[in-house]
Amino acid sequence: MYLEVKGLVKYYKKNIPIIKGLDFSVNKGEIISFIGESGSGKTTFLKCLSGLEKINEGSISLNGVRLNDNNTFVRAQERKISFVFQDYPLFPHFNLIENITLNLKNNYENKLNFILELTNLGKLLDRYPHELSGGEQQRACIARALVREPDLLLLDEPFSNLDSNIKLSVREEIHKIVKETNTTTILVTHDINDSLNIADRILIFKAGVLQQYDNPENMYCKPANCYCAEILGELNQIDIDKKSYFLRPEKIKVVSKSNDKVIVKKCFFQGKEYKIEGIFNGNIWHFFSPTPLNQNQSVYIKYNNDDLIYFNSMCRNFFE
Amino acid sequence: MEIKKILLTENKRWILGSAFVAILLILPILFLLTGLYALEKTSLSYLWETLLLDYTFNTFYLIIITAFFSLLFGIFPAWYISNYKFKGRFLFDLALYLPLAIPSYIMAFTYSDILSFTGPIQSFLRANFYQASLFFNRDYLQIEILGVILALALYPYIYTASRVSFTLLGSNYINVAKNLGLSSINTFYKIIIPLSRPAIFSGLFLVLMEVLNEYGAVKYFGINTYTTGIFRAWFSMNDVGAAIQLSVIMLIVVFTFFYIEKYISSKTRYYYKINTQIQKLSKLTFKNKIVVYLVCSIPFLFGFLIPFLFIVNNVLTTYHLVNIKDLTDLTFNSVIVSTISSALIIIFALFFLFIEKISKTRLNYYISQSISLGYAIPGAVIGLGLIIMFTSIKNIFSSFSLLGTFTLLIYAYIIRFLAVGKAPIKSSIEKQPDSYDDTAKNLGLSPFMLLKKIHLPINKFALITAFIVTFIDLMKELPITLILRPFNFDTLATQTYEFAIEEMIPLSSIYSLSIILIGSILLLILKNILNKQIDVS
Repeated sequence: MYLEVKGLVKYYKKNIPIIKGLDFSVNKGEIISFIGESGSGKTTFLKCLSGLEKINEGSISLNGVRLNDNNTFVRAQERKISFVFQDYPLFPHFNLIENITLNLKNNYENKLNFILELTNLGKLLDRYPHELSGGEQQRACIARALVREPDLLLLDEPFSNLDSNIKLSVREEIHKIVKETNTTTILVTHDINDSLNIADRILIFKAGVLQQYDNPENMYCKPANCYCAEILGELNQIDIDKKSYFLRPEKIKVVSKSNDKVIVKKCFFQGKEYKIEGIFNGNIWHFFSPTPLNQNQSVYIKYNNDDLIYFNSMCRNFFE
Repeated sequence: MEIKKILLTENKRWILGSAFVAILLILPILFLLTGLYALEKTSLSYLWETLLLDYTFNTFYLIIITAFFSLLFGIFPAWYISNYKFKGRFLFDLALYLPLAIPSYIMAFTYSDILSFTGPIQSFLRANFYQASLFFNRDYLQIEILGVILALALYPYIYTASRVSFTLLGSNYINVAKNLGLSSINTFYKIIIPLSRPAIFSGLFLVLMEVLNEYGAVKYFGINTYTTGIFRAWFSMNDVGAAIQLSVIMLIVVFTFFYIEKYISSKTRYYYKINTQIQKLSKLTFKNKIVVYLVCSIPFLFGFLIPFLFIVNNVLTTYHLVNIKDLTDLTFNSVIVSTISSALIIIFALFFLFIEKISKTRLNYYISQSISLGYAIPGAVIGLGLIIMFTSIKNIFSSFSLLGTFTLLIYAYIIRFLAVGKAPIKSSIEKQPDSYDDTAKNLGLSPFMLLKKIHLPINKFALITAFIVTFIDLMKELPITLILRPFNFDTLATQTYEFAIEEMIPLSSIYSLSIILIGSILLLILKNILNKQIDVS
């Protein structure tokens, strides 16, 4: 394994641990998306990986080298880990090229042109951060991180400060760059679409505990618990034999005739299709329709029983 | 176009009112400049041939020494206190402000006494290490020593500015720098210092202005600077022309510094996000702890504790000679004149800033800028300007004279210290969005009601801060008071100076101590308010 985290515990006050025994591993070149709510310890975890924080228990190894355990601590300055921070991307008193090459050793210079070309920043090198757009600043941070050929790239909410129109293009560019450079990456985000689109695997983190770690499709379709299911998208509840099952809106089809009838309450235009809110067996359901539907109109729906997701009835209580 | 715009605006009465008050505040300097015009050309060449070179060299040499040591005493403790965890950090943070309570002339009198032949150090050495005492028996009234003493009294300006800047920068840039492999020293010099340059320069500018304005300490050390030159030309040589010429030269120096500061600030003002997270303080190794304690202790020890204890000791040995009635009267004089002036300064500052905010005209921007120049103008120059102005007025209206009155003294204080009161209120008002004013207007509030109902309560802490800062400065003020005070009127500051200049330093101690105690109490209150403002938790 390329990155190996074993039994990682981190706390600032011993009785309030932020991370409680985290175990996971990453292969070389993989993009891992780390999902969790605000304040769940995502950024603290990245700081532990980068050496900005010491862990309290467990170990972190990268490329066969032990970075941190009870007896070892490699300083942040000595780890080959590049961290793209959320809020403070570039130093305001340096221009773009000075920012990218800050503290860069000579032997990295060949790599510089390649990265600048890849990030399309060649014409902006003399500009200061306040003269760059949000997307350009973000690309500059990525360039600064990648030019160091890091063993591991950490991206902390890299799209949170971007407008929605440039966010998509920056996301695609970052994905392209890290894949082309085969850089192992951990992306922390709270936006599920970011994770589903560019991650090879997703790690869901709640209350300091790893909830699920799998590829995006399995995460979406076979969530480990109701928290993972809900964090990745909407769910419709259906009670069968006194048991509650759940179904993704995408798995429901509007048909001309079936045994399952829904009374339409609202219809929202969403571009390529319509999102419908309706009542099914006393529960509020959401699903999609290719055509608009009228309020109080009855429509028939169809779903596959294999798509039903079941959780223990205590699951919700546990996470609330 | 601008005049037409003003006349059409609904706030024209406010704007014209502020323009009128601003003219009153700038007028003395204009009179000083017109006084230069009436002088004979020969007297400048006489000044140049005799004293000017000496005055210029001493003034700049003193500025360089004071600036260097102020930066040293101010920046490093501010860095350690902002970023590292150690025992006594909170106390040091309070204590390092305290030298602001000691006027620089009192610091100079005290150290000259401590270092003198009859002082405690030389007396101790003579009694115990006679040979060593011979080495230490020197003339300590040297410009280099004075530079260090002034730095000890003035470094808190740089400490305060750096401390706020380092706190607002937070740990985020440090984390990025660490991640890029920069060592702590490189992070400090390559990242933190350049980003804090505008703040450090603004603190340094205040230090330079204070050195230029310094009279008591410089006079006591027998060093010829522009300020002592003005006093000597005027009072000793009765040469008003030379005093005016020196004042104008000094004004040119001041404006040069002023524009250098503006230029550097505008060139190096960076756009960065202010830290909004609780900053995690780093732990120190044992070796670094020793360095930190030394760096934080030296300015406090030499800038406050030693002179304070020495003054207390002097008070204890001379208390039987103290005239309690005199002390009470002088304290009352100082407090009352400082209170009235501070209150007026706050009212004027709020008035100008409020009009600048609601009018948004270029005229009000320039008014606001020009009235701030007063702080950069040394007290002696303001005093001279006012005397020339009111002498001219008296020549025209013989029955009207303000010379030697409280009104004139307070007028001069307002000119000199308006910028001091303005700064905290300005930074507070600038933080408030224009939507407050727009909403109030939309709700039907008149400009006066907007000021009363919205800006006064919102800026309450800034007004208190401004009052305290101005009050402390006024309590310590010497040159203006010496020049313009009414006959037979003394303050704690003038009494301290007069005893010291007559070589009766122990007798001056009780008055010094009163200034220091009042200042220290107010500074501790101020520090509490400031800490709340920079605390992001």
